Amino acid sequence: METASINFLIKDSPVAVAIVDTNMKFVCHSDVWCQEFGKGQHTLIGKSYYEVLSNTPKALHEVHKECLEGASNSNKAQKFIHSDGTVQWLKWKITAWKDEQQQVGGLIIVQEDITEEKLREELLLKAKSVARIGGWEIDMATNKVYWTEMTKNIHEVSKDYIPSLSGGINFYKEGIHREKITQLVSEAMNLGTPWDTELIIVTAKGKELWVRAKGETEMVNGKCIRIYGTFQDIDKKKRISLEYQAISDRLAIATHAAKIGIWDYDIVENQLVWDQNMYHLYGINEAQFNGVVETWEASVHPEDKERCLQEVEQAIAGIQDFDAEFRIIWPSGEIRYIKAESTVRRDPEGNPLRMIGANWDITEEKKAQKKLKNLLDITGKQNDSLLNFAHIVSHNLRSHSSNLSMLSGFLSQEEDEKEKQNLLKMLTDATESLNETVVHLNEVVQIKTVADDKMKTVNLYDTIMGVQKNLALLLKEKQVVCTIDVPKGFNIKAIPAYVDSILLNLFTNSVKYSAPERRPLILISALEREEQLVLTFSDNGLGIDLERHGKKLFGMYKTFHNHKEAKGIGLFITKNQIEAMNGKIEVASTVNVGTTFTLYFQKN
Amino acid sequence: MDLKNIHSVCIIDDDPIFIYGTKRIIKDLDFCSEIIIFNNGQEAIDGLKNLENNGENLPEVIFLDLNMPIMNGWEFLEDFTKLPPQNREQVTIYIISSSIDPRDLERIQDYKEVNNYILKPLSQEDLVDVLREVA
Repeated sequence: METASINFLIKDSPVAVAIVDTNMKFVCHSDVWCQEFGKGQHTLIGKSYYEVLSNTPKALHEVHKECLEGASNSNKAQKFIHSDGTVQWLKWKITAWKDEQQQVGGLIIVQEDITEEKLREELLLKAKSVARIGGWEIDMATNKVYWTEMTKNIHEVSKDYIPSLSGGINFYKEGIHREKITQLVSEAMNLGTPWDTELIIVTAKGKELWVRAKGETEMVNGKCIRIYGTFQDIDKKKRISLEYQAISDRLAIATHAAKIGIWDYDIVENQLVWDQNMYHLYGINEAQFNGVVETWEASVHPEDKERCLQEVEQAIAGIQDFDAEFRIIWPSGEIRYIKAESTVRRDPEGNPLRMIGANWDITEEKKAQKKLKNLLDITGKQNDSLLNFAHIVSHNLRSHSSNLSMLSGFLSQEEDEKEKQNLLKMLTDATESLNETVVHLNEVVQIKTVADDKMKTVNLYDTIMGVQKNLALLLKEKQVVCTIDVPKGFNIKAIPAYVDSILLNLFTNSVKYSAPERRPLILISALEREEQLVLTFSDNGLGIDLERHGKKLFGMYKTFHNHKEAKGIGLFITKNQIEAMNGKIEVASTVNVGTTFTLYFQKN
Repeated sequence: MDLKNIHSVCIIDDDPIFIYGTKRIIKDLDFCSEIIIFNNGQEAIDGLKNLENNGENLPEVIFLDLNMPIMNGWEFLEDFTKLPPQNREQVTIYIISSSIDPRDLERIQDYKEVNNYILKPLSQEDLVDVLREVA
């Protein structure tokens, strides 16, 4: 009865416990034992311990033997390496039990397989040593300080080194590092605040090391009784990260100074990351940026967008690097020019992962370039027109001078009095022609020089009416019908004398080259167009074959009609005058139908 | 010198003084027996076509000015090269102009019909050279 009740108690024991007889046969055991060592059997009673645990090491056999002679044995962790190379850790407590006659009846064995925990512990230890993490502890009551081996290792002190609180603190590098740890430790002792910091220590061998020190406290009734923590050698990592930080700081200073924006586009996730400079470049508030590529797209000038997206696609496809110039529109509406370069990062299979690039503002360069090009164009044009003018001058003066020299040559040899008179008359004509040419040239030169002066407000309607009035006699004689359809309020920026001269020339041309068989009509109208006022001057005269003469219509000394008064100077001067006022003149004409001149003036 | 080889010369120029002077030098040199005058390119091309239509020979030498109203020397050359080749092959053209514009001198290279360029004023020596070349 008694045995049965004991057996019952043992069966439900929460630990693996077994009672064996002197032959090491199970008398009874706990369920836990069976689960742990029973290899799936429900009961082991009557079976031999060594049958069930066939791989029991010899050393344990010896232990059992000793205990059966009355001894006790316990072991907290014993490692066994079996013949098949497997490792087993066992923990046990063995006591002999005696019967009423005080004879050893067998053994009570409490046994546990702790292989798994042991391996885990070993792994942790290994990990700690690989990660170079040590531990430490300060008992505030006794002021005793404990360091693990790794902690000592990191400090480069011997295994028998006896640490102390002040000794530990003094390992920290003098200056900010020691001040910082002192402050953290005293705060922890007084307030119980934990810490986690990275500081430099100087090891016993004088080496400077970056360490990560973590500390936590145990408080009882508001009093710190224990501080413990870890201590990790992070020197390599820290130095790399510091170096990286220094480089990246340097880069940041450089890109900031150069106003270069850096962006990083995750192609797979469609995530766009901008640095601070990018926001400045795009005039976008960081808070408004949602980190998608569409935000960038929305900033790009509509006229440049398609080309840009195409170039991005080509870069991702690996056809060519993204190296583009485009315009962006700031939220304020301002247009800026951006230069962009980037590279595409790929996985080992060549699939695109990220695009990393730089942007910078080239608006000022672009503006300067444009200005320079404008200046070059103007200079080029002026140079051309000067050269043309020089050739015209040289040609015209030369033709007169050659005539003069030829005539005077004849005159010196001529003996016939009548022919002499004839030559003299021709000489006079030639001289007059020369004079006339010089007057024309003078007029042209004056246009070029006066043009730089400030222009005035000129009322178009009043000016047209004034010119018409001056020509009233001529217009009446030729029975010209004038229709003037110009709003009275139209004002242009011009040189009044030029406008007079231009209109006078157009009127007289229309009359001069009117078709003899029909009544001359002149129609003048004007309209407003953006910065300009456009005046059209039409007639129903002879017209000009523009296909033939179009190019030279406004040239000097070009005449196209068999007309005794045609001198080829009027339209040349007209063109120069209107261009001197930043305007232009165009012509449309049909032979024997009429001519329309279109004049563009600057609006006032 | 036997200078009687040239029968007719044509002057195309709008400047009456030049025409007068050229005629005079031609006469002095006894250069040819006939001088045809046109005042611009259009008159000249019409006149030459007229000669062709009447079955007459074209002048052997043409003195052509460049700057003329209505139709200038260049335009005349364009039209002239469109005439039937058998008629114009015997014609030698000299451009006589006041222009020293290099662009004009360059442009002359484009016309194989043009023999040479004579800068105004025209001198007796120039005409003697022409005779040497043509006769």
